[in-house]
Amino acid sequence: MIPPALEIRGLVKTFAAHRAVDGVDLTVHPGTFHGIVGPNGAGKSTTIGMAVGLVTPDSGEIRILGHDALRERGVTRALTGVLPDGLDFPERLTGAELLRYSAGLRGLSRAAATDRAAELIDVLGLTKGAGTPLADCSTGTRKKLGLAQALLHAPRLLVLDEPFEAVDPVSAATIRRVLRRFVAGGGTCVLSTHSMLLVEQMCDDVTVIHQGRVVAAGPVAEVAAGSSLEDRFVELVGAETSGSAGLDWLTGAR
Amino acid sequence: MSAQPSLAPLADTLGAIAVPARMRTTMLRRSLREHPGPTVAALVGLLAAAWLIRYALRGDQHTLGLLAGAWVLGWIVLPLLLGGGRGRVRPAHLRLEPIGGVPAAIGLLAASAIGIGPAVSLVALAALPVHAARHGTVAVLVTAGGAVLLWLFGLIGSAIALEVVGHAGGPAGALLTGVFTGTAMGVAGSLWAVFPWVSVLLVAAPQEVVRAMAYVPSGWPIAAVTGPTGRGVGMMAALVGIVALCAAAYLMLVRRVIAAGVPFRPRRTTAASLAAPDREWLGWVPAATRAVVGRELRAWMRHPLRLQYLAFAVVYGALLAGLPLLSDVDLLLPWAGPLAVLGAAAMSAGLVGLDGTALWLPLTTPGGERAEVRGRALAWLVLVTPIGVLLTVAGVLLAPDVDPLAALCTLPALLGAGASVPVWVSLLRVRPVADPRHPTAADNPTDIVSVLVATGSGLVAAAPVLALVIWGPSGVTPLLPLVGLLSGAAAWRGGIWLADERLTRRGLDVLAAAGQRSRPTETVLPPTWDAQWFRENKLTAWALGLLTVGWIPVIPQGVMPLAFGIGSGWIVAGHLSGGARTAVGLAMIGLGVAMLLAGLVLWDRRPQPGGSAHPASGQAE
Repeated sequence: MIPPALEIRGLVKTFAAHRAVDGVDLTVHPGTFHGIVGPNGAGKSTTIGMAVGLVTPDSGEIRILGHDALRERGVTRALTGVLPDGLDFPERLTGAELLRYSAGLRGLSRAAATDRAAELIDVLGLTKGAGTPLADCSTGTRKKLGLAQALLHAPRLLVLDEPFEAVDPVSAATIRRVLRRFVAGGGTCVLSTHSMLLVEQMCDDVTVIHQGRVVAAGPVAEVAAGSSLEDRFVELVGAETSGSAGLDWLTGAR
Repeated sequence: MSAQPSLAPLADTLGAIAVPARMRTTMLRRSLREHPGPTVAALVGLLAAAWLIRYALRGDQHTLGLLAGAWVLGWIVLPLLLGGGRGRVRPAHLRLEPIGGVPAAIGLLAASAIGIGPAVSLVALAALPVHAARHGTVAVLVTAGGAVLLWLFGLIGSAIALEVVGHAGGPAGALLTGVFTGTAMGVAGSLWAVFPWVSVLLVAAPQEVVRAMAYVPSGWPIAAVTGPTGRGVGMMAALVGIVALCAAAYLMLVRRVIAAGVPFRPRRTTAASLAAPDREWLGWVPAATRAVVGRELRAWMRHPLRLQYLAFAVVYGALLAGLPLLSDVDLLLPWAGPLAVLGAAAMSAGLVGLDGTALWLPLTTPGGERAEVRGRALAWLVLVTPIGVLLTVAGVLLAPDVDPLAALCTLPALLGAGASVPVWVSLLRVRPVADPRHPTAADNPTDIVSVLVATGSGLVAAAPVLALVIWGPSGVTPLLPLVGLLSGAAAWRGGIWLADERLTRRGLDVLAAAGQRSRPTETVLPPTWDAQWFRENKLTAWALGLLTVGWIPVIPQGVMPLAFGIGSGWIVAGHLSGGARTAVGLAMIGLGVAMLLAGLVLWDRRPQPGGSAHPASGQAE
């Protein structure tokens, strides 16, 4: 039996007095798109950070393709490609140099690194970003370069935190096509996002996290339960869409 | 009656020329009203200018030329370091204006001339005609013309420097900042050698200075009226030529900026970046480590603060060893390399903080921690070894009578410790800069404890060689190179092991600390004596006291009598001999080290102004 691409059990993380992740369980089936959604501060990035080994969990289990992520770090790192949100890059490198550096870290041969980097730069429309120091790149270009470095070593599990943030629509369409080909080829993609439309379009399964807990999980259609995912999401996190009351000074007749 | 039509274009041009000057006048008026800094700077500058004029009345002609040159050079360089470009009208401001290159350049230079720096400099350079007054009226007029030419040279030079070199945020500005601070610290550390030389210079310039001043433009205005007439005309013509060349260069620069975008910022092409040659000479190193070495070397060449630190270390080391020559002491010359290496190690003790959270890349790669540690250390070694060797060899060649063995054997020990221990220290004490993408000269990811640990490790690694040189039997001399190499290798192994342990076991803590951008409030020391502050901050005060006074038993009371045989006045061990001298010297070093260590412990335990001593780190989303 093929093990889940990512399996999380009873994951807990507390920062000072704030319990950011409170007993999260998550199962990502291999060869699927899995979306993680939740309001700001819900614990999505912390969960993803723990899954890829960038945040230490207080307790819980994480398994990647059958390997214990906390004990077999070398193996799980080799299997995973990561795009974290809000972390720095080696800012003095150009985009192309970042890809060469990343390939070197992963032990790719020089020829393979050069070919793959050139292809990714071409496909993702990174010609300008490839020659620009990362410190001077736009947020969208940094996202695309981050995605390119995550794909470079052909991982089996791709974990992406807000991959479409600040990316232009044309590039977003390209990225979606690349990711679909990756999953069609047997890879697994976990992504966190605020876009319910994106989850409906791309994901097979979705996990809704709110206040550090999983409030719904399963196939997208099942979680949506007949309505749009956005409406269902608002309902799940227990928040009325605010904005319909108050602000009379703004909306009143002048 | 209306203005004649033929004069209208001229009036328009003159109006366009006057625009930048009017803008500059408004800016200056506002800055004088809002901030006391420029007024204070003006008063200090005027005092210095008055001293120069007073010196010119009776002082030495060549020394005066040297001082005038230093003044003009300072006028060009200092704004680059101190952010003097703020509030200036720059060519880019005129990009959208319908104005040609020549009127724009004239207007911009006219605007540059409005300010405290140019006004005070004009007063200071009046020292030249004042000095020439003893040679008659014609001499005064000629020298005054020369002084104006020097002033124009400073004015245009400063404008060019600000445009081309940029400010301290750019690589060239960072290098200049490093050179300047290294020079200031080097001179401060060699005051004992510099003061006597300066006193001699002020009385009468030594022959070598006299010879050199024949080639320095700031010496020409006075030389033109004291030598043969033909030579004087040549000197003044050369001065006019230099100013004309500068003006032409500035005109070209202004034209380029107005016509196009920002100049002098070439973009690297994709093809060049992808096809960049691999580091074949590091073929024996694992690929992952090689990748980190490549990243680090690029960062050293491009990161403004790293460049600044490196330039500082080189200049500081070279000056500490070289300035004593002014007092005919060449004993330290072979130590230029070791001193620069030690400085580079100290300045590398906070590099992880400069890189922000970029550590996540190795932390998500198999074996990434080991590659990160070794790559950082190896890149430092690749960069600093040639500098250390070059400076040491230069020192040895310049001081053939000094025995260089101790310096040569200490060098590998310092290199081994300097490459690896700062990596550990910077992983241990992460002080992230506010914005890793665009750091400013004000960002400083290093604190005194990190610097002391990095420096101390170098001294510990060098200790076996120094101990054998001082106390070892003469037969042990041939073994010194081996001892130095072994000490360096041991220090390298030790530092790498510590850094490995830190990053492998606590890598995520390091990453969390690197992401802690909101730095806790710094301990603010009172600028003057404040008994109340000292009563309320006893731990901090004790720590500062111990860290300051602790060096006295170590260096003057311990190292100087033991290593250099210096013993006079207040040096206790200097009044003793034989075993008693050694014992007292060693006891003094022990006492000083204990005081410094106690100071470090207290400094770490001092209460933080913002709350706890060690802020919690982490991230939540």
